[in-house]
Amino acid sequence: MAENRNVKIHVSHLKKNFKKLEVLKDISTDIYEGEVVVVIGPSGSGKSTFLRCINNLEEITGGEITVDGMSLTDKKTDINKLRENIGMVFQHFNLFPHMDVMRNLTLAPVDLKKASKEEAAERARKMLVKVGMEDKADAFPNQLSGGQKQRVAIARALCMEPDIMLFDEPTSALDPEMVGEVLQVMKQLAADGMTMVIVTHEMGFAREVADRVLFMDGGYIVEEGTPQEVLLNPKEPRTIDFLNKVL
Amino acid sequence: MGFYGSFSIEVEGSFFMIKIITRYGQLLLAAMQQTVLLALCGLFFACILGIFFGILGVTKNRFCRAVNRVFVDAIRGVPMIVLAYFIYFGVPAFINNIVASGSKFTLSALQAGTICLALNCGAYMSEIIRAGIQSVDKGQMEAARSLGLPWWRAMYRVVMPQAIRTMIPSIINQFIITLKDTSILSIIGFPELVNTAKNVVANTFMTFETWAIVAVMYLVVIEILTVISRVLERRLNRGRE
Repeated sequence: MAENRNVKIHVSHLKKNFKKLEVLKDISTDIYEGEVVVVIGPSGSGKSTFLRCINNLEEITGGEITVDGMSLTDKKTDINKLRENIGMVFQHFNLFPHMDVMRNLTLAPVDLKKASKEEAAERARKMLVKVGMEDKADAFPNQLSGGQKQRVAIARALCMEPDIMLFDEPTSALDPEMVGEVLQVMKQLAADGMTMVIVTHEMGFAREVADRVLFMDGGYIVEEGTPQEVLLNPKEPRTIDFLNKVL
Repeated sequence: MGFYGSFSIEVEGSFFMIKIITRYGQLLLAAMQQTVLLALCGLFFACILGIFFGILGVTKNRFCRAVNRVFVDAIRGVPMIVLAYFIYFGVPAFINNIVASGSKFTLSALQAGTICLALNCGAYMSEIIRAGIQSVDKGQMEAARSLGLPWWRAMYRVVMPQAIRTMIPSIINQFIITLKDTSILSIIGFPELVNTAKNVVANTFMTFETWAIVAVMYLVVIEILTVISRVLERRLNRGRE
């Protein structure tokens, strides 16, 4: 790892409760510019919640998160502005079903006056080429396969020109034969230097693409390190146990 | 004897029916216009109230949600006939005797009727709108927010257009109910169809004929509304499949 890299996301002593249920108990980590961090762990361990806290889709209960030096808990932070800079991809795609692909991609940039209609459309076309969906600009989401939907969802997030991309189990709702095409797009993004935080069960992908792997369980980060360290030579019994079950 | 008896009644019946139509047809049609006018006034404000309180019901703010609940429960819990008496007689009396003693505030039957329908229909509409919004997958709002859209923009651009499709049948249904509810406002003297029909009956004693004609008139207007709603629904659902 380079020494003087900028911290993009700083998380310290993050806590998140849903009513009385403590989902995140004490999470601290720094995510650097251009870093690809993969979060793994059993279901219910808080991985998705952790990810959703980063762009404030879940309001945090305690601790602090700063993104680009701006604190999420600071009342002066414009959370909408911050979110423009953080793309998010969901397990269930969440494309807007009443709009065609082009409109899905241009809605936010145009509505937030980040770009004129023409600029947004041009950028959208570029992004569609990037994810290999340029011939589906006029299609509606229900005419696409799962893998195609997810690639469009990635393109939609990229249209806001974010510095950070969050992926919440992006391949979990896909048929097996479509997982590859989505992972391919994500690999390309990582190669382009995007800062990425990815919650996934794709261990092969983690090993290949991740700079760092976080293993979460019970609301804590139990173990972290390079894929070599965490996936191939885990030290914590809980990590070993989990990896034995999934590999 | 029985055969001839029933035969003669039938002839007389249709004869009187024609008499009512030729003599009171104009009057009844004008009354129908008043009914439709009252319904439209009521529905216009009901839509505003419904959207306002419906959206209050889906906000994160607990106070807003409480306001929505109180409004809906209060209106739903009171029969419309009581609401009509209360607004037409009760409210002016309250203002003239207690708030501004000696003043001569009154509401016309149309004003009181409009308020009454707007409140009543508005409460049900707000429930339809709240349920419609909540029927849209939460992921839609999250995806829109994650792109940086403020809550209002996300609601307007992403959630509402999807919610409206599921709401249309219930809204049309509510419109029809409200149109029929105008008949309740005959009790505060608004010259709508039922009120006018009562006068026709009082003049002619032709109960069967008059009410049969009134029933058919309601039926026709509501049928027209139903057909319009079907066309609208089909158009909104276009492009979905």
